[in-house]
Formats: sequence, C-alpha cells, structure tokens
Amino acid sequence: MQVEKFYYDNRIVKAFGYATVIFGIVGMLAGLWAAIQIYYPAISLNLAPVTFGRLRPLHTNAIIFAFVGNASFAGIYYSLQRLCKTRLFSDKLSWIHFWGWQLIIVGAAITLPLGLTNGAEYAELIWPIDIAIALVWIIFGINLFGTIVKRREKHLYVAIWFYIATWVTVALLHIVRSVEIPYSLTGSYSWYAGVQDALVQWWYGHNAVAFFLTTPVLGLMYYFLPKAANRPIYSYRLSIIHFWALIFIYIWAGPHHLLYTALPDWAQSLGVVFSIMLIAPSWGGMLNGLFTLRGAWDKVREDPVLKFMVVAITCYGMATFEGPMLSLKNVNAISHFTDWTIAHVHIGGLGWNGFMAFAILYYMIPKMWDTALYSKKLATNHFWLGTIGIVVYAVPMYWAGFEQSIMWKSFTPEGQLKFQFLETVTNIKPLYLLRSIGGALYLAGAFIMVYNLYKTMAKGKFIANEAAEAPPLVKEIKHKKEYWHRILERKPMTMLVLSLVLVAIGGLIEIIPTFLVKSNIPTIASVQPYSPLELQGRDIYVREGCYTCHSQMIRPFRDEVKRYGEYSKAGEFVYDHPFQWGSKRTGPDLAREGGKQTDSWHYNHLYDPTSMSPGSLMPRYIWLLDDALDTASTPAKIRAMRTLGVPYPEGYDKIANRDLVQQADSIAANLKKDKIETPPNAEIVALIAYLQRLGTDIKAEPKQTVAERK
Amino acid sequence: MLPLLCKRSKKIPGLLSVLVLLCFSQQAWAAGPPAPSVFNNPLAVTFIVLMVLLLIIIAILASLLLGAADLKLKKEKKKNPVIPATVVSMLFFLLLNSTSLFAQAGDAAAQTTSATIAGMSASAFYIMVTVIFLELLIIIALLINIRFLLKVEKEKNVVLIAETVEVTEAVKRTRLSWWDKFNKLRPISQEGDLDLGHDYDGIRELDNRLPPWWLYGFYVCIVFAFIYMWRFHVSHTAPSSLEEFETSIAKADLQIKEYLEMKGDNVDENTVTLLTDAADLDAGKAIFTNPANCVTCHGGDASGIVNDNPGIGPNLTDDYWLYGGAIKDLFKTIKYGTNKGMRSWKDDLSAKQIAQVASYIKSLHGTKPAKVKEPQGELYKEEATTPAADSLKTMNDSIKTKELLGKLGAAKAMN
Repeated sequence: MQVEKFYYDNRIVKAFGYATVIFGIVGMLAGLWAAIQIYYPAISLNLAPVTFGRLRPLHTNAIIFAFVGNASFAGIYYSLQRLCKTRLFSDKLSWIHFWGWQLIIVGAAITLPLGLTNGAEYAELIWPIDIAIALVWIIFGINLFGTIVKRREKHLYVAIWFYIATWVTVALLHIVRSVEIPYSLTGSYSWYAGVQDALVQWWYGHNAVAFFLTTPVLGLMYYFLPKAANRPIYSYRLSIIHFWALIFIYIWAGPHHLLYTALPDWAQSLGVVFSIMLIAPSWGGMLNGLFTLRGAWDKVREDPVLKFMVVAITCYGMATFEGPMLSLKNVNAISHFTDWTIAHVHIGGLGWNGFMAFAILYYMIPKMWDTALYSKKLATNHFWLGTIGIVVYAVPMYWAGFEQSIMWKSFTPEGQLKFQFLETVTNIKPLYLLRSIGGALYLAGAFIMVYNLYKTMAKGKFIANEAAEAPPLVKEIKHKKEYWHRILERKPMTMLVLSLVLVAIGGLIEIIPTFLVKSNIPTIASVQPYSPLELQGRDIYVREGCYTCHSQMIRPFRDEVKRYGEYSKAGEFVYDHPFQWGSKRTGPDLAREGGKQTDSWHYNHLYDPTSMSPGSLMPRYIWLLDDALDTASTPAKIRAMRTLGVPYPEGYDKIANRDLVQQADSIAANLKKDKIETPPNAEIVALIAYLQRLGTDIKAEPKQTVAERK
Repeated sequence: MLPLLCKRSKKIPGLLSVLVLLCFSQQAWAAGPPAPSVFNNPLAVTFIVLMVLLLIIIAILASLLLGAADLKLKKEKKKNPVIPATVVSMLFFLLLNSTSLFAQAGDAAAQTTSATIAGMSASAFYIMVTVIFLELLIIIALLINIRFLLKVEKEKNVVLIAETVEVTEAVKRTRLSWWDKFNKLRPISQEGDLDLGHDYDGIRELDNRLPPWWLYGFYVCIVFAFIYMWRFHVSHTAPSSLEEFETSIAKADLQIKEYLEMKGDNVDENTVTLLTDAADLDAGKAIFTNPANCVTCHGGDASGIVNDNPGIGPNLTDDYWLYGGAIKDLFKTIKYGTNKGMRSWKDDLSAKQIAQVASYIKSLHGTKPAKVKEPQGELYKEEATTPAADSLKTMNDSIKTKELLGKLGAAKAMN
C-alpha cells in the first residue's frame, strides 16, 4: 500500500510547553508566598491584591488551569498527532486555542488580585472569563475531534479515550457551574443558592480534580510511559474496565466534600459509597502503569523520565486510596476543615500532576529538539529535590491537620472546650513553617529543570515540522471475531456520546432531587434576605476571599456546637448566592458570628487582628477603613437577586440605598460610642453589618423583614 | 571432626536420627511441664500441645532428611564423595547448633525470677515461647536442607536426561514468585502469547488478566456500597448525622454530671460566694491576664485602659458597675455576657473558673491604677457582711441596694 507522508506540528507543543514552565513557576511562587503568609502575615506587605484570601485562588487557578492545563494540552497535542498518525486538524485552531487559553490565564492573573471573583473554589473566575473558557474549550474540542476524524489509525488508543472523556465532562462541568446572573461587567451571582450551590460547587470542584487533573494526565501516562519504558501496556482489558468504571463512578463522589453539612443525608451517603467504589478503578490506572514497567525497572534506575513517572503514579495510587478513606464519615469528621485536606491534595498536585508534567517535558523537549537531555544528573537532582520536597510538605501538614482536629475536639472534664480556636492555630505554626520549606525545595527543583531544559534546547535544533509517514486509512474491512470494545474504538462520536451519558447519570441523580424535592431544604420562616448594606458587605467578604480561611458551616458535633453555636440548617442559606461554607478553617467558623462581638471589636480586629486576638494569623484589612463603598451598584445587585427569586419587594432596588445609608449610619453611631470615628460609607461598615447578621436569623425573635423596614 | 561425622553418618544414619530426636524430646520435656498448676492455664496447655506437635513434625522431617541424605551419599560415593559429605556435615552442624541454643535457653529461663504473664510465671512463658520459636527455626532449617537435597537431585536428573543448561535457565525464568502469583502475572518470557497485535505509534498492548485481588476488591467495594446504603437509608440501623449528634451530647452530659458531682464543682450565679484563697485568686488572675481573655477589653490592670486608650470594657477597679458589683452579679455577667459588648464566657470557662476570675476582680477593687477609664454605670457599695447562708435574702438585698443606688444616681444626674 502507498504510504502517505505528513508532518507533525511541534510548534504548538513547544508553545504549550513554554507556557507550562512559566505558569508552573508563577503558580508555585504564589503558593509559596501564600504558605509563608499563613505563619508570617506581614509578608503580604499589607497589599490588598496579594493578601492570602486573594493569593490563594490565584495559586490554585494558576496550578490547575495554567500549569497542569498547559501541560495537558502540550502532551495531548504531542501524543494525539502520533497516535492518530496525522497532523493536528487545524493549525489556526491550535493557535487560537493556545492564545485564547493564555489570555484567560492573564485575565485570571489580573482579576483575582483585584478581588474580582465568583467566590466558588476553582470557579472563581468572573463571568466574562467563564464565557471565554467555554469558547476556547469548544475550539479545543473541534481541534481534538477534527484530528481524530482525519486519523490514519483505525482504532483509538486508550489515551484518546481519556482525552475524549476529559473534553466532554469538563465542558459539562464548566457550563453547569458557571450559570450566573451578571449585575455588572465584572460581577455576578451564582444561579444556585445555599445547599444547591454547595452541591453544584462540589460536584464541579471534585470533578475538576477528576476530569482536569486526573483523566487527561492518565491519558498522558498511557502514551508517555510505554514510550519512555519501551514496554507494552500491561493489560488492555484493565484499560477498558478501569476507564469506563472511572468516569462513571467519579462523577458521583462530589458530596463527600459536604459530609455532616446541611446537605441532605442521602446525597452525602451517595458521595461516601461512590468514593469507596472508586478505589479500584483508580488503582486500575496505577496498576496498568506500574505493571507496564515490568521488565524495565533497570531503566527506571537510569532514566529521569521514568523516575518521575514512577513517583507520580505511586502518589496517584496513594492519593486515590486516601481520598476514599477521607470520604468515610468517621475519618472525615477528623480531617475536614483541617490541613489534612491540604496534605492530601498536594500529594496529588505535587506528586501526581507536577511530576507527570515534569516527566513529559523531560521526554518531549529532547525529542522535539532532536538531541539528548543536557544533563541526566541535574534531572536526577531535580527528582530528589522534588521528592524530598513532597515529603517535607506533606508530613507536617498531616501532622498539623490531625493535631488541630484533636485539639478542637478536646474537652475538659467539666465539659468546657479545652482550647480556644486561636490556640489550636498558633500551636501548629511551626508545622506551617516546615511546609513552606518543603514547597521551596520543590520549587528549587523546578528551577533546576528550567535550566536543564534551556541547555537542552540550546544544544539541539528545533524540528518545527516532524516528518512521518503512514498508510491511509482503508475504509470498510470486514472485522470478524473481534473483541466487542474494538468496535467502539473505531467510533469516536459514539464514544463521546457514551461518555457524556455515563457522566451525566451521576450528576443528574444527585442534583435534580436536591433542586426539586422540597423536603431536602426545609424552609425556616425567620430567615430573611440580606439588607442592602449586608449584601454589599457580603460581596466584600467574597471579594477578600474570607472563605479561604473561614467556614460558615457548623457541623452537628459536640465541639462545634459548643464553640460556634447551634449547628447549621439547610434553610438558613436559601438567599446565599453563592454559598460560603468554605472548606478550610485557618480561622474559626463564622456561621453564627452575628452578635458575638461588638461592632467596635470587629472594627479593631479588621484593622489589626492581633490587637483583639494576640497571636492571630489573620492579615490586616486596612484598606476597608478608607475605601468608600460602591453604592451605585446596589440597585443592580438587588435586581439580580430578585431575578434569582430572592423576595425583595417590587421596586425595592430604587430605594435600597436609602435603607443602606440608614443602617450604615446606625453602625457608625454605634462605633462612635466606642470612640471610633468612621465615615458611614466606608467598606468596613458594610462588612461589619454582614458579619453581625451571620447566623442570627434563627436566633431569638424573627427579624424585621425588608418590607417592614420600608 | 568433619570426617568423623561423615563416617558415622555413613554408617549409622538411623541411629543418629533417633539420637537427635531424643535430644530434642528431652529438652522439650524439660521445658514442657514446669509446674502442675500450669496445666490449668489454657494458654500453657495450648503452648504445650503446639510444642509437641512441632516436635513430631521435626521428627518426621529429620528422618526424611537423613533418609534422603543417606540415599544421596550412596549415589554420590561413586563419583564425588566430597560434596555430599559437606552437605550432610553442614546439616548436622546446624542441628547440633540448634540443640545447644536450646539448652542455653533452658538455662537462662531457670534463672529468671517469677512474674506472671497471661496467668503463668514469666519464666515458664518465656521458656515456652522460646522453645516454640526454636522449633520453628529448626523446621525451617530442615526444610531448607531437604529442598536443597531435592534440588540437587532434580538438576542431576536434568543432566541425566541430557538436557542443555538453557533449559534450567528457562525453568528459572518461568518460576513465579509469590508476587507474580498474587497479581496473576505471567512470566515475561511468555509475553509473546499475550500480545494483542495492537500498535499505536509503537505502543503494543498485552492481554493480561486482571489482578484477582483488584477485581475482588472492586466487588467487595460494590457490596460495601449496597450494605452502606441499606443500613443508612433502608433499615436505619446506622445513625444519621443528627442521631449521632444527639447521642454524643447525651453521653457527654452524663459524663460531665458525674464528674461535677464527684468533684463538687457545681456553683452557679445563685450559690457562688467570694473566694479569698490565694490559690483561687492567682488562678483568677491567670485567667484574667490571659491575652485572649479579659485584658483585651478591660486592660491588664482592669482599668479599662488598653494600650493607653479607653478600651471596650469599663474600669473594674472603681465603685461603679454597669451590671451590679456583687460577686453574684459579676459571676452572672461573666457567665452569660451582656447585650452591650460583654461576651459570654460560659463555653470557655468552667463555673469554678468564673468564680475565681470574679473573685479576683473583686480583689482589685480600690487598687487605683495610674490611668483609668471614666466611671460607667451605677455606684455600688459593698455590704458590710453578707449572710452567706441565705442566698435568696442576699439577692433581694442586692436588688434593693441597686434600686436605692439607682435612684441616687438618677438624682445625681439631674443635678
């Protein structure tokens, strides 16, 4: 048969590779900076854009979407061409994809420090950027499927199954999570409220881990591991079983982030059992990876690429076993809201994602520059720095998490809490310090990689268009007696639809009843919408990223009820667009903060937290004292809330600012009694109003309704 | 000595085996029944039965080994007498060595003093454990030797059939370790049979079976899922989050009640009395001056001055009180807080601690710090003597005093 000659596009891979390295370093630096702020808040230099609450989303978004995202795109575009024996579908689309994605990242890097955020973890980016992501993702999809359609290989290799599932599921997740009502060019409210928002959020958040950080990277493993080890894939049937089981089961597990919360019990239980069932499918990927190395372990000793991959896959195995264990309610009761979770995600992030990204860079760059790696020794040093860095990072965090949790739950025999919240934080400060050292080691390794790769490129010559040849695809051969799955592997569109159906099942079964069945969220008559000032204050709370350290969810535990007050009820959050339950307590829970402290306490505390709580690790929010509240946005916000079904009276948007000023004046007057002079239009007044409202609705008598206040 | 041993072993292997056996049994017997009382202890009986069983196994293995060695010696004699001799001598050396260890253990045990472990004397316990351990060691040694002999035999056969050396190597390669069996791994040499013929950019795929533990583990997880859902949502035999919560609270309340009753620390705002003990006042001071507590609002000297500025809380050393200056009023204010800034401390401090800190504050009365906050509240005069016995009367009195002083204060304000 006549062979056709064609060229692989290496330039786009190179571009994504560069972006991976640059944003990887940026993301890690942001992480390190944030880590130091936790034990040394002053290092934020009291600059609003880089306080922990704004820096942490920057770190997570940079690592997930910029570092791992770009690494995945680089690896996918490299392997896809070679697995399909064709050039990418369209060079133009490739470049639109590349620049579009980088613009989104730059947009994120500008908006997040400015405090422009949706306030939902890993979905912080504002609505215009959300739309841009959707568009670029569609471009990527067209390019992906276009390439698959014009392939010269009859069957799709397992890596491509993972790419397809990634594309379709991320599209679904992103669209459902990003349904929001804009009230300005940069601001919007989540379409969902309270419990429903929480469920959608963690269905999304958990599966961002599953389908943005796991499935594409598994696909990369299936290509780069056998290539680097020159060994056949261990088991084809294991690939099939673990792939389908993984994508079907993964999507259900989101509610394990919400155990013991106000989420209905049945949804929590589904999260638990599907997490447990997920162990085997996850481990299927690990086994297929490690067993593929059978007979090649001598190479692992030599080849840095394989070294990185072995640790990456091992970390993947550890994290995917630990995850289900953390989903058991009795373990979760200890681990949730502590640094245990942070340790867990960094085993996945630093170990699995980071090391896989490094491995494919070390593999692709010498290949594309047609040379050998500049220094194996440096790469090995990078490997050891990284590995030690992971250990030094994770061990103190496990320790910190466990210790803090035990302190939270300690009672004196008299039945008093043994430790104040602050004591449980200052106690683990040394561990925070150790953690940042681990992170710094890991980052140092990454810098070594940059140097090594730079030297490699310098000594090689870049092949922009790599020549290859393959026979064209012959249509219609009789396939007799073949394994059933082979048929599917010839039909990419069927595979796409099947993946979509499978991932949709879990989401629909969990989300729809939570939205439609009334009994899931029992209403509480005394719960009223926020006043305009409180609403503005809430937006400041979201803007400053308070949810990165403070939860608003009191779980029904003896210690939490004692420490924070009555446990949180589903009906209390019906006007919370978005919900702010949080996932980590570096500071105490605020669900019932209202009325616990005086206005002046909050004022002083926000100005300098250590003046009220010596030893506090909270940053100062000096700018809130001077910046004037943007009251011009109030009517639009009220209108948006009304659209979402929040029962403000008709036409209230026009007079909302009158109520706002009235409430602000009363707070300013109250502060004045304690010798604090503040302009009533300062942002801090709005934030105090919000904090004083938190969790008070179900206490004592029903509050005045907005209508009555008129 | 070696040749001697060899000679003897060649001549009388049967006798030797009996000897060895005897040697063991004697030692074991010596250790076995130490004291009659031991037979009442189930653990001791189990140990003894185990020791006897292991001894029987040793006897069988030993005779088997000696038989095999004998057979082998006869065969080897013709070709090369040296190798088997070393084999057998090594074997005996091992066995003898073991017996000597055995004897030592017995000696050591005789010296140990008596303390009881699991109902028998410590020495008896350790002797038995040592005996069992040594017996296990001997069994392992015997097995290794038997295996060695049999292997030599097997290789010999291979040579006899005139197979090549390569075959033995192939055998070696096809031998599966426990790890391979556990994972159902096929030898790499047979990989060709598993190749599916797929080729993706040079990547081939094998058709290995699923590791059994993985597959059954998956099934177990699925079964777990069904049982879990059944227990939590159908049969309700597992507690919901709120049921768990209620149980834990009930349990804790009971524990606290028992503890307080035992300790007699159950004062409240009606029964509290002024504490004057230095220890109590020191404890109260420690609570007061803890940076996270009172000093934040009332200042380190209770003057109401924090960092040279008026604090949130009032001066606690003067004669004026917002919520009453009696010890019971202070207790109540600290315990429940007020709606004007003072927070509730009942979740942070125990009743006794509140009494201590309230008493400490009372002890500060009239200390006149250098800089104080302006008086707040009403003038309060301490009553000369408070009849501690009748708390109700005291309360009424203090209310009356308050009313009186209130009127006075109002009059003063009008002036």
